[in-house]
Amino acid sequence: MSTPADTPLLDVQNLRVSFATEEGVVGAVQNVSFSIQRGRTLALVGESGSGKSVTAYSLLRLIQPPGKIVAGRILLRSQRLGEIDVAHLDEKSGLLFKVRGGLMSMIFQEPMTALSPVHTIGSQVDEAILMHQDVSRAAAKRLTLEMLHKVGIADAAMRYQQYAHELSGGLRQRVVIAMALVCRPELLIADEPTTALDVTMQAQILALIKTLQREIGCSVLLITHDFGVVAQMADDVAVMQRGEIVERGTVRAVLKNPQHAYTRALLDALPARRHAARQAAAAQLTAASGATASGASAASGAAAAAEHG
Amino acid sequence: MSMTRTRAEAALPDPGPGPGAAPLLSVRGLSKQFPLYSPGIRRKVTGLLNAVDNVSFDLAPGESLGLVGESGSGKTTTARCILRAIDPAAGEVWFRLPDGRTVDLARLSSRELKPVRQHAQMVFQDPFSSLNPRMSVRDIVGEPLVIHRLARGAELDDRVSDVLARVGLKPEHRSRYPHAFSGGQRQRIGIARALIMRPSLIVCDEATSALDVSVQAQVLDLLKELQREFRLTYLFVAHNLDVVRGFCDRVAVMRKGRIVEIASATEIFSKPQHPYTKILLSAVPSPDPDVPMNFNVGEELAKLDAR
Repeated sequence: MSTPADTPLLDVQNLRVSFATEEGVVGAVQNVSFSIQRGRTLALVGESGSGKSVTAYSLLRLIQPPGKIVAGRILLRSQRLGEIDVAHLDEKSGLLFKVRGGLMSMIFQEPMTALSPVHTIGSQVDEAILMHQDVSRAAAKRLTLEMLHKVGIADAAMRYQQYAHELSGGLRQRVVIAMALVCRPELLIADEPTTALDVTMQAQILALIKTLQREIGCSVLLITHDFGVVAQMADDVAVMQRGEIVERGTVRAVLKNPQHAYTRALLDALPARRHAARQAAAAQLTAASGATASGASAASGAAAAAEHG
Repeated sequence: MSMTRTRAEAALPDPGPGPGAAPLLSVRGLSKQFPLYSPGIRRKVTGLLNAVDNVSFDLAPGESLGLVGESGSGKTTTARCILRAIDPAAGEVWFRLPDGRTVDLARLSSRELKPVRQHAQMVFQDPFSSLNPRMSVRDIVGEPLVIHRLARGAELDDRVSDVLARVGLKPEHRSRYPHAFSGGQRQRIGIARALIMRPSLIVCDEATSALDVSVQAQVLDLLKELQREFRLTYLFVAHNLDVVRGFCDRVAVMRKGRIVEIASATEIFSKPQHPYTKILLSAVPSPDPDVPMNFNVGEELAKLDAR
């Protein structure tokens, strides 16, 4: 049961996920390996179709047919339950249910689809507690209210009785975060948690994830396409393209000094970088034309002086 | 009716501030309210939400004005009121037609509005829901010409092919349906549909928000090229400040239905004046790990509200 501090919490080895389609088998994830240390945040970044979400979903064994994990190991070294190879757990095994939502939980991109429209907010968070902890309904409700308060929902008692459609996008995402973290998971998977939100709400949700991660001490796998979010949230980053990890390293190393051509292309496409590049080009141009202009005026000045002389 | 027309077509008394050419679009005191209902089945109107509250700005020909703000700030409602997708409650929207007349879009009847609409087009956010899945690309892109009876038969086909080529699609794409295209290609179809009318004003409502960064960059480049070639004027509604910074000449920041600050893009981004603009800019996560973002946005917004 005991795990040395330096072995990673999660070790994904040679993971392969395929989808059988009418046009043949599509390898959505091809031989992907990565690991996450305890308490650290790994960002998995790439464009749509790169396989980053499929990777995340396979960690929780949420891949539905025609999709299938065809090879690889997903080793979770839990402090509570020891080493588990999630990739080879039986679909119906009790251990898989303990892993899902208990040891590993997930925040989804679209909080409206992640929440049930016909159950109250409170009952959904209660359910997460009752599935994984041996407590009474009353105790579960107390825990839920405490958690709703912790994720920054003012007036938790009133919100407890409301339905998802009565909440704003930011509040819904807070509820999803409460559901994900109420059982104090060892790994939190956040799949584009702020993509549906605008920038001020994004900043608040990212701050909340950071604070709660520190408090619970969990590791985070952050799935995103936004290098801004990567730079501000993650310790390490892995760049995915067409089902493969093409580059990985610490955030600073990869963002400051990208080695792979695809990473460089992605970074160069960022609006902020494009703007900076255009400005630099414009500055160079004005500097060059300024030099010519001053050169010309100096020359004409000299000519005028010669005329007068 | 004739009364309305004379009023609507009266010359604009004051073209508004700003040097150079007369504005293409001049919005004055634009307002729109939505009713708020009580919960339950017997819904009673309990109040009014000021979605757009006394908004005024000018748009010069060939200019790109960014309209930014968080969701619920009224930027999309403003755009929709200008194009009369919804009717504004108050205000004037003076629009200069190619023949030099100015008309108040806010006051035109729907019959008077139709011929004016060809000059002001819209590109939508979601390239999936804004294209009819049962229509071929030829029908989608050609439909505006058919509606306005501007072309038919071989001429229609030629114009569709021309505009498709101009936005980077192939003539053989005409017979395909939207599902066969990627998000970026669909957005090009949406742009072609707007462009085929040769409008002077295009309203882009979050036109690149749903796209991956590399595709987004290509679509932004295309919009810039088209602007130069056809002297287009853009009203660019967006929540991504980085995109607006690179694309727009001027930026209007909206909050709770009002424009809190309007200035050149350079000024907004280098010397923001309004405290809300400052918070908004500080919340953008920088891709440079050495430029920390502001994680304290929630408290700062609450403080701003308390003032």
